[in-house]
Amino acid sequence: MQQDRERYDVNLFRPRQGYMTGEVAIILAVLLGWGMVNFGFQAVLRLLAETPAGEGIFTRLTFLSFPWHFWFTGQFLPLWFIILCILFNIYIDRHTERHSRRRDRSHD
Amino acid sequence: MTDAGFNLIPLLIVAATLGSFIVSGLRARSREMSDYGFGGRYIGRVGGGAAIASNWMSAASFLGMGGLLYLQGYYALAYVIGWTGGYVLLLVLMAGQIRRFGKYTAPDFVGARYDSPAARLISAGISITISVIYCTAQFKGIGMLFAWLFGTDYRSGLLLGGAVAVGYVILSGVLGVARNQQLQYTVLIVSFILPLMALAYKLGYFWMLPQFGYGVAIQDLKREFGINFAAPFASGTLFQWVALCFTLMVGTAGLPHVLSRFYVVPNIRDARWSLVWGLFFIALIYWSAPAYAVFARLLEARAGMVPPPAATTGMADIVVIRTAVMGGLPAWMIGILAAGATSAAFFTVAGLLITGAASLSHDIYYRIINPRASEVTKMALAKGAVVVLSAVVLFIALHPPGLIAEITAVAFALAGNTIFPAFLLGIWWGRANRYGAIAGMLTGVVVTFATPLFGGVVPAVADIFPLTSSALFGAPLVVAVMIAVSLLTPPPSEEMRRFLAEQVHGHME
Repeated sequence: MQQDRERYDVNLFRPRQGYMTGEVAIILAVLLGWGMVNFGFQAVLRLLAETPAGEGIFTRLTFLSFPWHFWFTGQFLPLWFIILCILFNIYIDRHTERHSRRRDRSHD
Repeated sequence: MTDAGFNLIPLLIVAATLGSFIVSGLRARSREMSDYGFGGRYIGRVGGGAAIASNWMSAASFLGMGGLLYLQGYYALAYVIGWTGGYVLLLVLMAGQIRRFGKYTAPDFVGARYDSPAARLISAGISITISVIYCTAQFKGIGMLFAWLFGTDYRSGLLLGGAVAVGYVILSGVLGVARNQQLQYTVLIVSFILPLMALAYKLGYFWMLPQFGYGVAIQDLKREFGINFAAPFASGTLFQWVALCFTLMVGTAGLPHVLSRFYVVPNIRDARWSLVWGLFFIALIYWSAPAYAVFARLLEARAGMVPPPAATTGMADIVVIRTAVMGGLPAWMIGILAAGATSAAFFTVAGLLITGAASLSHDIYYRIINPRASEVTKMALAKGAVVVLSAVVLFIALHPPGLIAEITAVAFALAGNTIFPAFLLGIWWGRANRYGAIAGMLTGVVVTFATPLFGGVVPAVADIFPLTSSALFGAPLVVAVMIAVSLLTPPPSEEMRRFLAEQVHGHME
């Protein structure tokens, strides 16, 4: 009974052997890129701020005529999310194909 | 309002646009089965992406986001980031798994996963509440648009626009109008970008890609007029920014009408790639929205107008249209912009009212009150529910509790604090059970409305769970409650755990 329970155990942090292990690794890598780049940048922006309104090195630099931080948040981050989604799909597609070829029905 | 008097040409363009959707929907009806809610023929990955984007675009994206950016500058980019970054969460944590689970509405998923009528009832109630809040924001947009079109006050505009919107929904339902969401998205993107290109051209900025060419305008605002549009923390702290952004992200991944989109795609791989296209189409509009806000500030400054804060808040939700008027664009082009905004609000209202009504009729009446109800009875009840929900929304929208994007954010907070954790653990933790789900969702409801409920008594509550941004602490709290209660109560059936392990997390696509 206990063995059956473990056999059907689904847990993001304790992925089952086989397909799910690789799938979870890809998910966690994407989530890391998602959180660090977005929230991490805002934290750095705050850390390097020289005034209460947040003025600092990033607000003085420019890129494509935008204040650098504004370009990063308003334009790059949505693009970054699209890139992350594309990478996720490519890796999951490959991962799925690899396991399909092996006929690795790890759940059986 | 921005422009006193009747705006005939824009009004005619709005009417012609809405009319053309009904006509094209009726023509399409002869070629395919009409759908009352979700469904329709397969349209490919790009088409699926356009459908996702069209389904997503609302008055909040079209009007509300520009309004908040106009008021708050950089701080309001949290909406841009929240509403795009949420799709990453949706893709990596839910899209494929929901498709494999095979239940496409939030109450259906919750009811089946947790094998509990009570959990289904709670999630149905939450879904309907989300629909009502979201619709209230749309009605505010519709009210302001109609007030501008007819040159009336907000109240008259709301009553008139609300009646037309509900009439549109009912007429579409009665005639069985099929929704061509690629056409809808095309209309939305063209109507948003074309006037922006014209504005950039008139103001002397790079007009061919105006969404990437307004950087100079930000610098001009600061250099010539001392307006620092890009100051990062002028309108809110780092915590407030992160809390708002995170709430909008988890809300996006938990919004019932977004989760339901994966039903129309035939396989998981196409569902995933459609989502990427959808995010790209959404980003096209979100890259552009800040430009309207910057141009609005610039036009005001050049005209020597410095409106008082109360006035700016009052007109923020229609600042996109107002910018086009101030910029001296021709009436037909302003009409196209207004038609896009009206269409976005009408499509969203139609989707939400039909989903909410279907939930009332199917998940509450049929599943819980009268399981022997006939299809005719269910359909009649759904149609009645559309009218009742509309009346509720109209009543709330008479005294809108905030700006369009702010009202919408509360719906996101509710979704992020309730549906998102129920789906997340439902998919990724086999041990999550009905008691955990019920306790978690009820906690989520309390957390979402903690500020109006307890903020007056315990001021710290308003700091920890701000009304529009409660999910930063709320969603993890709900997840913790779900885990604790699940562990203290019996596990779900072995059948469900096996289904999760073999079907939902099996690898074969």
